[in-house]
Amino acid sequence: VRHFVTQLNLFLFLSCKYLRQGRKFLVRKLTGRCELQRICYNNKSGAHRTLKIESSLKFSKSELLQSAVIVHPDSVEKTIDDIMTLKKIDPDINPQLGISLQASLLQIVGYHKLMAEVEKLRREPYDCNNPEHEEMLVKLWKALRPESPLTGRISKQWMEIGFQGSDPKTDFRGMGLLGLHSLLYFAEHDQAAALQVLHDSLQPKHSKMSKAEWDKKSFEKAIGYSFAIVGINITDLAYTLLVNGALKTHLYNVAPEIPNMVHFQQTFSYLMQEFHRFWTEEDPCDIMEFNRVRNKFYKRILTQLKDPDMVLCPHFTASDLHLITL
Amino acid sequence: MAAAVNINKSNTALMDPGARQGRGVGGSAVKVLECGVCEDVFSLQGDKVPRLLLCGHTVCHDCLTRLPLHGRAVRCPFDRQVTELGDSGVWGLKKNFALLELLERLQNGMSNQTGLSEDALRGVGECIIRCDEDESHTASMYCTVCATHLCADCSQLTHSTRTLAKHRRVPLADKPHEKTLCLQHQVHAIEFVCLEEGCQPGPLMCCVCKEYGKHQGHKHAVLESEANQIRASILDMAHCIRTFTEEVSEYSRKLVGVVQQIEGGVEDRVGVDLTEHVPGTAESARSCVRAYFADLHETLCRQEEMALSVVDAHVRERLVWLRQQQEDMTTLLSQLSTACLHCEKTLQQDDCRVVLTKQEIKRLLETLQKQQQQFTDLADHVQLDAGIPVTFTKDNRVHIGPKMEIRVVTLGLDGAGKTTILFKLKQDEFMQPIPTIGFNVETVEYKNLKFTIWDVGGKHKLRPLWKHYYLNTQAVVFVIDSCHRDRLMEAHSELAKLLTEKELRDALLLIFANKQDVPGAVSVEEMTELLSLHKLCCGRSWHIQGSDARSGIGLHDGLDWLSRQLVAAGVLDVA
Repeated sequence: VRHFVTQLNLFLFLSCKYLRQGRKFLVRKLTGRCELQRICYNNKSGAHRTLKIESSLKFSKSELLQSAVIVHPDSVEKTIDDIMTLKKIDPDINPQLGISLQASLLQIVGYHKLMAEVEKLRREPYDCNNPEHEEMLVKLWKALRPESPLTGRISKQWMEIGFQGSDPKTDFRGMGLLGLHSLLYFAEHDQAAALQVLHDSLQPKHSKMSKAEWDKKSFEKAIGYSFAIVGINITDLAYTLLVNGALKTHLYNVAPEIPNMVHFQQTFSYLMQEFHRFWTEEDPCDIMEFNRVRNKFYKRILTQLKDPDMVLCPHFTASDLHLITL
Repeated sequence: MAAAVNINKSNTALMDPGARQGRGVGGSAVKVLECGVCEDVFSLQGDKVPRLLLCGHTVCHDCLTRLPLHGRAVRCPFDRQVTELGDSGVWGLKKNFALLELLERLQNGMSNQTGLSEDALRGVGECIIRCDEDESHTASMYCTVCATHLCADCSQLTHSTRTLAKHRRVPLADKPHEKTLCLQHQVHAIEFVCLEEGCQPGPLMCCVCKEYGKHQGHKHAVLESEANQIRASILDMAHCIRTFTEEVSEYSRKLVGVVQQIEGGVEDRVGVDLTEHVPGTAESARSCVRAYFADLHETLCRQEEMALSVVDAHVRERLVWLRQQQEDMTTLLSQLSTACLHCEKTLQQDDCRVVLTKQEIKRLLETLQKQQQQFTDLADHVQLDAGIPVTFTKDNRVHIGPKMEIRVVTLGLDGAGKTTILFKLKQDEFMQPIPTIGFNVETVEYKNLKFTIWDVGGKHKLRPLWKHYYLNTQAVVFVIDSCHRDRLMEAHSELAKLLTEKELRDALLLIFANKQDVPGAVSVEEMTELLSLHKLCCGRSWHIQGSDARSGIGLHDGLDWLSRQLVAAGVLDVA
């Protein structure tokens, strides 16, 4: 029986493959356009188009097309030319095709590049002896607490911005420098929002509770969350989204060509703010519910990203972008 | 020294150094008053004190102590009757006071016989001084000129003349000491004392001895001052003796008090006519032990009952299910036989009817097939095993089934490696975790145990929330970062705080000295020393285990220890 099932699977697989090939062949003969052409003409720019091109290239039987998604960004232009030649498309008749294909391919290739960059940064541990790292940490403090100077590299003050102990180094273990970079970007480029989130996180959950009452209870009940380590947790969330490809929708929509680190960090800033809002809406009774809230948030983001029009930006939507022009 | 009066068999000597009685004073042979066992004579005190047994026989204390004990009783050596002993043993038996009185009287009688010379002695030695004029008067003054002892009347009488009236008379207490005369030189009084070592046997000397006699040129002192010195030292000694006596008597009073306290007794309540029995410390200790074991017994009974009820419930449930199954099977069997009958019947019918029943038979077959399918499914899932595997936890709860569930909380400072340990145990893979906010919970199966591990974040702000996870926790796993020496004290204070929690009173404590792989990590022994764990964890079951979450070394040893502690001995091998 098992043998039979295996054979059946194989058969189904083959038939699907040939069906697809056959359908493509038929459609091509009917419309006189190749699949890539059809995708480019029928879909608006952004994730709609790029996602389809990506899957089309991946499932192509031509080795050139298959390897197109992993070429180096510099050789993208040459690859486009090769594809045009292979598909016998005249660039003079279809001038737009080359441009839009190139933009999409750059996005695809860039996404892989970004993944590698992010992974490299994540794997780099925080090093106390590296002056660059130290400087970044001090900058983070200055951005979040401009009015109070830091008393020392190892200080209880770090706990004010939500690190676990007096030395932030230990908290960067899982996310490495990626966590620090993200936090710093958020604090510097979105300072107003970051300060607001930080301020809210330090507030008692029950606004009706008076200040004195809060002071009395503050040590018994940890209400609100800790800015920095929540930031590191959200970095992990963003990283997971990037690695499992869910972020493609967003990045293909916002990045005109190669998505870069800044895009990732912008995403992080957005996620931080969204999470903060989500947390406030959920109104959990204490920090112990963090994982539940985080998982719920993660699922929500995942669902949102299934929609190819989705962008994780609060200020503008894909239609407003008009950055990718045909 | 015990003042013992021994009336020996020979009975010629009265050995009594305490009383200043003549030795070797002859007396009539007294052959009574001796112990029937050792044949030694009874004494008023000490080892030879006569004590009464319940049967009325009297045996000396010494012999009583040598008698073999039968539980808490001795047997009379004469008639084998049993006498119960109290807490203080032989000492608690009453003395034979009649015998003691007799003994005392006998002793006094002896001293009366021999007391004549003593009376004479007392007459001289004691301070009753007769008047020199009249023997019947007692002197009260002394005439320094006539050197006579006089009473007041006689003094008046004898010194009535003018000349005599001038004699200086002093009260008897102020009478100057008589000068003793030198033995060699009868006219000279002794005035000096020789201080030479060689002359110690006869140090007294007069002025002649000093200047010309045998003590010529010897070192000397004035007699009076020397005598005064000796008097002073005697006084000192007397004082010492008095204090010593006081101490001894104080001590013996205390002994009596302590004995009384231990034995307890009857106390008279002032103002109330009732006498009240006051329990001694022995009694209270005994009742304490009784109460403890009664309590233990009660707990055990309760636990036994609970365990039995668990087993009962299990058996009931199982039997109900099995009976249900039995019934189902009976129904199935009857259905099957009905089907068989039906088939047979159909077979015997003529062709037309057989054709007509085709649909019916088909339906019947379908139901049969369905039932068969159900039956095989059921048989696949259910193992018919009559065994009821029983496991006992250390707190005497019973657990039925192959896996025993245990609730564990993992705690420790932030960055100690709690989450890493959890995921290493769960998935056997090392990952650098991000700081835990809130908690993670995972179930880890190990041997026949199922650990539900709660990993709670170690952040400072979260620590007050740890206590929400204590409830029903059988074990606490405390993780310490061994390579972070300056945070050991913080870990220590957190651990100390944990151990005072009431909910964790009975919980096991497993300490992981984590990150042992890092060079320069604090070793397990050093950690035990540094955190003074023996003192800190006194009175609970705890264990420290070196571990390395990266490779997983030590983690399973820790779980092994936990399972050994949780499961009563000998049942762990139920794999």
